[in-house]
Amino acid sequence: MNTLTDQSQAVLARGVRLRADPLTGEPLLLFPEGVLPLDATTHDILLRCTGAMTLSGLLLALSEEYEAEPEVLRADVVQCLTQLRQEMLVVW
Amino acid sequence: MNYRPYLLLAELTYRCPLHCPYCSNPARYPDGRELTTAEWQRVFREAAELGVLHAGLSGGEPLQRADLPELVATARQAGLYTNLITSAAGLNEARLGQLKAAGLDNIQISFQADQESSANRIAGAAMHRVKLAAARMVRAAGFPLTVNVVLHRDNIDRLEEIIALAEELEAERLELANVQFYGWAFRNRAALLPTRGQIAAAIPVAARARQRLLGRMHIIFVTPDYYSDRPKPCMDGWGRRFLTVNPAGEVLPCPTAKEIKELRFDNVRDHGLGWIWNESAAFRRFRGTEWMPLPCRECEFREVDFGGCRCQAALLAGDAGVTDPACALSPYRARLTEFVQAAQSPEAPDFAYRQNP
Repeated sequence: MNTLTDQSQAVLARGVRLRADPLTGEPLLLFPEGVLPLDATTHDILLRCTGAMTLSGLLLALSEEYEAEPEVLRADVVQCLTQLRQEMLVVW
Repeated sequence: MNYRPYLLLAELTYRCPLHCPYCSNPARYPDGRELTTAEWQRVFREAAELGVLHAGLSGGEPLQRADLPELVATARQAGLYTNLITSAAGLNEARLGQLKAAGLDNIQISFQADQESSANRIAGAAMHRVKLAAARMVRAAGFPLTVNVVLHRDNIDRLEEIIALAEELEAERLELANVQFYGWAFRNRAALLPTRGQIAAAIPVAARARQRLLGRMHIIFVTPDYYSDRPKPCMDGWGRRFLTVNPAGEVLPCPTAKEIKELRFDNVRDHGLGWIWNESAAFRRFRGTEWMPLPCRECEFREVDFGGCRCQAALLAGDAGVTDPACALSPYRARLTEFVQAAQSPEAPDFAYRQNP
């Protein structure tokens, strides 16, 4: 699998989209034959997966939002994106 | 407990130019004309109101419906994720353009085999080249692509080559669906059931490919319940997450529920989808765990596999209300075992090809 680097620009894969649950308002990720309810952190990450932001930029943006050092967030963000990539929900 | 449907399978028509012997369409089609454009549009809107998130547009061959782009647009406007489940017969650039404009989210194309002669023989129609061209058009038009291959006795030995085909077509997803025995497939089950050896050889091929292609193509391999000790959690439970509307407007808890002769299915021409989902007798019949007989009722897996598949119980045990015979604890398990034993012979009957209504 392609390694995620600081310069990688993650984007939702083709055919994958974010939407709010029409009944509960909770954030969901929709893809062929599937739906993934999103926790707040994953949602925050995916909102920034527009293909325009590098991993470094993403970590910086999240660090401002969460008031935490980017390097503290790195492991979780990389693990989250890697798992999503394995199911072809995010690419870079 | 409140139940909410997440996925609507819209079987737009039973018409199809292919004749695959493993088709899950009923071997006896229901009477009644196909739903009109306006009737389907109402179905999609009512489904969205119920909380449905996904619409699978299937058939038969959904491209046989001239109003397909209109239906996709309505489903999409109602917020539904739209997936076209197609043989690719009738797909051309003009139609792809219309579907793109309508907002179609994903296209799933079925392949019968990796080699043309074998694929055409299984489909009962010379379609393989058309499918290859269509899959490339789908990619060129910027759609995501799922390749679906039903695996059976006649093609499972070439799993490696089948995976290579999907890879060459640059599919995001590959569904390797071991044949399940309903409708036409049940009629053809002696011709379709792979041997134990074939299954044992296929499993590691799929697992290795899945690992090798991680992050490039997502492989889904559905293991066959005839070779398992545990039943599949069919539809994630009866009337729990899924509903199917068939071409004549009947609403079913699963696409093959017509196998259960004791049930009468209400029609969207007579009732709203919400009433049928919540109140109709067919949807309530096997919902939850109240209906369960022994051994299911006291089984620790009753909320995991929901007693397996009701249609399979009807087909193999003659009673939709008993434990799925695919479960090793079923009193009817011997019927399945006997059949599986007989299928280990190298001889298999010819296909009875699917006929159109």
